[in-house]
Amino acid sequence: MKEQDYNSHFLVPYLLIIPSMIILIFFLYWPTLQSFFLSLYRTAPFGSRVIYSGLDNYKKLFTDPSYLDSLQRSAVFVLITIFGGLTFSLVLATFLNKKLKGIHIYRTIFFIPYAISPTVAGSLWVFLLNPVAGHVNYVLDFLFGFQVPWLTNGFFAFIAIIIATIWKNMGFNIIFFLAGLQSIPDSVYESAKIDGANSWQIFRKITIPLLSPTTFYLIIMNILFTVFQAFGIIDIMTQGGPANATNLVIYKLYRDMFVNFRPGLAAAQSVVLLFLVLIITFFHFRYGSKGVHYQ
Amino acid sequence: MRKITMLLALSLVLVLTFSAAAQEDPITINFWHAMGGHNLEVTETLVERFNEQHANIEVVPQNTGTYNDTLTKTESAVRSGDAPHIVQIYEIGTQVMVDSGIIIPIEELGREVAQDDSFDWGKFLTPVSNYYQVDGQLNSMPFNSSTPILYYNKDAFKEAGLDPNDPPQTFSELKEYAEQLTIRNEDGDVERYGFTLGIVGWFVEQMVANQDALLVNNNNGRDGRATESYLDQEPAVRFVELWKEMVEEEIMLNPGRGWDGAKQAFLSGRAAMMIESTAQVTNFSENAEASGYELGTAFLPRPDGVDRGGVIIGGASLWALRDHPQEELEAAWEFLSFLTEEAQQVYWFEQTGYFPVTKSAVEREMNNQFFAENPNHMTAFLQLLLSKKGAPTQGALIGTFPEVRQIVESAIEETLQGTMTPQEAMEDAAAQVDESLQEYNSLYQ
Repeated sequence: MKEQDYNSHFLVPYLLIIPSMIILIFFLYWPTLQSFFLSLYRTAPFGSRVIYSGLDNYKKLFTDPSYLDSLQRSAVFVLITIFGGLTFSLVLATFLNKKLKGIHIYRTIFFIPYAISPTVAGSLWVFLLNPVAGHVNYVLDFLFGFQVPWLTNGFFAFIAIIIATIWKNMGFNIIFFLAGLQSIPDSVYESAKIDGANSWQIFRKITIPLLSPTTFYLIIMNILFTVFQAFGIIDIMTQGGPANATNLVIYKLYRDMFVNFRPGLAAAQSVVLLFLVLIITFFHFRYGSKGVHYQ
Repeated sequence: MRKITMLLALSLVLVLTFSAAAQEDPITINFWHAMGGHNLEVTETLVERFNEQHANIEVVPQNTGTYNDTLTKTESAVRSGDAPHIVQIYEIGTQVMVDSGIIIPIEELGREVAQDDSFDWGKFLTPVSNYYQVDGQLNSMPFNSSTPILYYNKDAFKEAGLDPNDPPQTFSELKEYAEQLTIRNEDGDVERYGFTLGIVGWFVEQMVANQDALLVNNNNGRDGRATESYLDQEPAVRFVELWKEMVEEEIMLNPGRGWDGAKQAFLSGRAAMMIESTAQVTNFSENAEASGYELGTAFLPRPDGVDRGGVIIGGASLWALRDHPQEELEAAWEFLSFLTEEAQQVYWFEQTGYFPVTKSAVEREMNNQFFAENPNHMTAFLQLLLSKKGAPTQGALIGTFPEVRQIVESAIEETLQGTMTPQEAMEDAAAQVDESLQEYNSLYQ
């Protein structure tokens, strides 16, 4: 039997990563580079004029109050959506962790929103919140005698897209929380009970700390979800309105690129987003394994 | 005898080969359009008719989403080098298409490329050709044209003690009528609104033209590039003020941005009057018949004591893209010219509710009593024909028109939410539009 000569196979690892590198280069690195270059130019529609403008697009972006507003708005949106969404999902996951008859059916039902497309989800909520024939207002009117201007008032429209986004991502969060909950050994709970802890204490002192790796992972994933995937829901439900109340960074980018014919400015926004994602990823790698309680 | 048979057989083979060759490679013309639903079928029928009549040309229609999607897709197709031959672009894309450098003006295509001397360039309705004429020539082929009109429920008028044959003509009448048409229950909640209007920038543009006023300077951008918007002036502000007042007094339903909410409210009887495109005449008439009420239509109302202007043609037109071989351009012209023939125009109009764009089609509809039997189609038509000729009703040319519309829509939303007064919101909008114009114009200096 011949000895494995690793030195003569120095090409093998490179050959092995070539397929994924090709995909990454063509679909990720190359477009990223392109948008960086694009952000240094002002381009006329259909590319008939291309004018080098240095960092003007970035200057314009950061002196534009509407962009700063939309950054701030996005931050608020992300914070509320993640806090609300994760809390809600955790509560539901605890219920779904019970040993009930037909629990699989309930679990499937809660996962469905994640499986449908954002467009369908958005349309569904538009339908429910419709000022003319919406079910939500009908029920509110029937029970409490008032109606809410859901999509025509800036504040409520903002709430509406938060609700829709939380609902949409709920399935994903519940699945991970469920997996996390089920990996906590029963023995821990039993010993806590023997020591006389009540259910709140158990939840607070045992469940939450032991779930923290899952929670941390979900926070990172949810940031990415809410920043990027909110687009579909916003486009269908509010188109960034009323009066820009739901115009988040990703929607503004889309609009500058595809409606306002400003590819340079849109590219600059995508570079800014890229840096934000890099920061989040850095935190994920840096603190993903520390400061979080693993078993 | 055998020789003759042989000869016959041979010539038959020859003929068959040739005709097969002729059928094998017809010239393919890609036609991108934004017609959906029922209008998609009508468009495809027109294409089928053309293909049946032209063995050597095959037009391939392709729905490319909304008007905005179509424009975006055309842009990326041009960049990647597989642009369609003909593309349907909405009216507000006119300036950007003229500037694009990728189109061939339809007049150049017909006169010089296809050398078609039989085509009558005067056949289009004046308001239609006025809109699409830039720098003295027709740039795109008028196709689907519409304007806004006031729709109202005649039965609701009777119920409220109003004369169903005397629709509101002025802003103050509109308000008065809406008040009378509004029904509240004992809790004070509105059960039926007098009026509704979707937040769509187009309505502001039309209302400005209806007061014979300009939307932007340089004669609506027709004498030179527009550099300044007039959104902060009386005609636009006045309309937004009326809008705000009526919503605040709860005699008008605010269904939010876009078309669907308002349409739904009117069709379900939640609102008694609305303004919508004439392209809806057929749809609304059918709905009225099915729901058992009588539909009325009227011209757009104007502020009291203001000179009447008129409406601007809306809808879309067909553009030919230059970067194709001569024979394909000729085939594209063949198709475009086919669409303007009387039979196609009449079919298009009766099926969709969009205007026929040629005079002869209108004449034929007059003669066969179509208008007499369909008075609501007549309203739409008369309003267009009675519009005063001039830059205000010719429509504005703005390179960043899609953006301008959104700015206007945002301003209306600010007003309706009460975060800004109509004057403030429109001043803010005007400033944003000016900046957008400056930015766009600087690209073409």
